[in-house]
Order: sequence, then structure tokens, then C-alpha cells
Amino acid sequence: MQSKVDTRYWRFCAYMGPLFVAIFYYCWGVLGHNFPPFQPDAPAAEVAGWFREHRNGVRLGMVIAMSAAPLYGVWGYALAKVLEQSVGGERPADNILVQLARVGAAWTVITLLVPTSFWLTAAFRPDALPEWMIQMLYDMAWLLIDLAYAVTTVQLFALGIGFMADKRATPLIPKWLAWYGIWVGFMFIAECIMPYFFNGAFARSGILNFWIEFLIWMGWVPVLTYYVLKAITRIEQENAAG
Amino acid sequence: MQLVEQAKSGQPTRLPGDPGVWVFIIADMGAFALFFLIFTVGRIGSPSLFETSRQHLDVTLGLLNTLILLTSSLFMARAVEAARAGVRGAVVRNLGLTILIGLGFAVTKMIEYRAKGAAGIGLTTNEFYTYYFVFTGIHFLHFAIGIAALAMMLAKARRDVLDARFTVWIESVGCYWHMVDLLWIMLFPMLYLQRTG
Repeated sequence: MQSKVDTRYWRFCAYMGPLFVAIFYYCWGVLGHNFPPFQPDAPAAEVAGWFREHRNGVRLGMVIAMSAAPLYGVWGYALAKVLEQSVGGERPADNILVQLARVGAAWTVITLLVPTSFWLTAAFRPDALPEWMIQMLYDMAWLLIDLAYAVTTVQLFALGIGFMADKRATPLIPKWLAWYGIWVGFMFIAECIMPYFFNGAFARSGILNFWIEFLIWMGWVPVLTYYVLKAITRIEQENAAG
Repeated sequence: MQLVEQAKSGQPTRLPGDPGVWVFIIADMGAFALFFLIFTVGRIGSPSLFETSRQHLDVTLGLLNTLILLTSSLFMARAVEAARAGVRGAVVRNLGLTILIGLGFAVTKMIEYRAKGAAGIGLTTNEFYTYYFVFTGIHFLHFAIGIAALAMMLAKARRDVLDARFTVWIESVGCYWHMVDLLWIMLFPMLYLQRTG
């Protein structure tokens, strides 16, 4: 482990996680009519009608959501810095778990940016688009944002396994939280059945594939941030103690 | 059993395995509890559909699966006991039997899935079969991960020192394997046996 760790900017980056969740919830979720989404069996006219009536709200929501998406990556890099201190070793930055946690966060940003651009496309010239096409863009965005779960699972698993490798008597990140993250990554696999359902628990708007999947992930972000901030303080104390 | 003895003797008890693994287990069982609730709500809404669909499930294979998992779990518990005693040969033998017997579950499940496929029954046939395939499918994924974890433990048991760290590992995997067992014990009566009055 390095004898002196430069923790400048770590806290700032760590705060970006909860900020991302708050912005994304409102802009993508509320303004974009994605929290909860239209049921897959909602008529195309209903989806298209909503986009036509609320085009400016959706545009604003998606533009801000796209601008805020990189915050998830910034947050993910702060987590990876703390993870380096958990895994330890001579060159912790080269540890494969740290690298996977970083790319998992970075790839997740892509999976947020691309579907938000589809929703934005649907709101760009909704009068010129047939109803079925607006519905198709809405479906396409949802299929991508849900089925790209595995990208975030890479981050969740790498963080979980890495935080558990901490040799300290009291680990920087509690083991229960490491396990919880692994569980969240594991639960995401339920998204694989989402394309088969147009209503009910397994549809994109259902209790499992929407409410549980999104809430366990969105809840994980601020909770982990709280413990990461505490961990940064401990790393600084360990530094001061030499 | 060790926990019971500890409790009787007044010694402080501890959770077997890594305490963190229990977070996973409890969260996972919470998810399955929700699945059971979803199933029950569906069943109240369409009792006759659920009953006629249930009658097409093979109760014998379901019971066989239950016995396979229970027997496999017995050898798992014996492997953990052997690890605590530091007897490598018994750990390897019992883990091997746990895996071997456990794999029987995969065989019977494949037979069942194939039979359903041949009868034209699939994920979207009706609400009952949706739950049947989704819940048993997710359970099967748990099972497959369990087999992989057991295989890893078998390799560790052959190679590593059987110290306190190894005991925590094998207890953690054992707890997970028992959870796979427990979830099936809940799924079997709910899907295969529960009649609609």
C-alpha cells in the first residue's frame, strides 16, 4: 500500500453519486415519464400523445439527464480510489478489480447516454413521427437501459469482491454493504425476462423489473456514498498516523 | 448442531460463515418472499387457471428434486463438520458427494423443462407458467452458482490448509447451499402441490 495517499477531490467526486440519482430521477424519471414508465401494452396513441403534449418537458429532462450522466462515472472513479485502499498491495491501481470497477462505472454512463438520446429523439419532432415510431423509440430506449444491466453488474461485483478483500480489522466499507452490492448486481438478471412481458410483475413497469430493480440500485448509491465518505476520512487518518 | 450445543452451554453463539453472506441470503430470501406474494395474488385472481395448469406439473419429479437437494445438503453439513475437525479426506469426500448428488437436480430439471417444451408449454403460455418458469429459472440460476461455488471449495479443500479462514469459506458456501435447498422446499409445495379449493 502507498505510504501517502492524495485524497484531494475524492469527496467532491463521491458527492456526485447522490447528485446524479437526484437529477436523473427528476429529469429522466418525472419529466420523461419514466418513473414509472408507460406499460408496454399502453396504446401507441397514448405514448405519442404524451410526447407531443409534453415535448418541451421531455427535451429539458433528457438534455439535463444526458449532461448529468457522466456524474455516475465521476462517482464510480471515487469509489475505485477507495477500493484501491481496500485491496491494498504494491500497486493497487493496477488491481484488476479496481480496473473493472472503473470501467463498469464508465460503461454505465454510455448505457445512460444512449437511451436518453432515443427518448430525446421521440420528443424532437413528435408531430412528424407516426405514433408507432414514437412508441418504438420509447420501447427501444427501455430495452437498452434495462438490458444493459450487465455493464453495471461488472462494477457492482468488482466493488463487492474488492471491498471484501480488505484486511483491516474494521474494513473501510462494511462487508454487509459489499454483499448487498453483489446481490443488487445479481438481481439485475431478472431484466432478462422483461422483453417477454407487456404487463404484470416482470414487465418494464412491473413491481420486479421496475420498482425493485431501480430502487435497490438507486438506494445503493447514497448508502455507499455515506460509507465512502467515512472511508476517506479513515484513509486520511491512517495517512496522518503514518 | 454446534450452535445448539453452544447455546445450551451458555457460550456466545456466532453466525456460521461470513456475516456478510447473510446479508445476501436475507436479501435474496426477501426477493423470493415477494415472488411468493406475487404468485399468491395471481392465484387468488385466477384460481381455476392455476389449478388446471398445476395439474400438468410432474409431482414425482418435483418430489425427487426435493429429496436430491435435501440429501445433497446433508453431505454439505457433513463437509462443514469435517472442515471444523480439520479432516481433509472427509471434507473432499463429502463435498464431492454434495456436488454429485446436487447435479441430479439439474438432470431432473432439464427433463422437466424439455417435457414442458415438447408439450408446447412455455414462459408466456399463461400466468401460472410464467411464474413457474421465472421462479424455477431464477432458482436454477442460484443452484448453478452454488455448484460452481462448491466446485471452487472442492479445489480449495484439496489445495489449501484447513484453517479458520477455510472454515469461514466452507460455512459461507454451506449456508448458501442450504438457502438453495430452502427456497426449493418453498417452491415445490407452492407450485406443485397447492390445490385450489
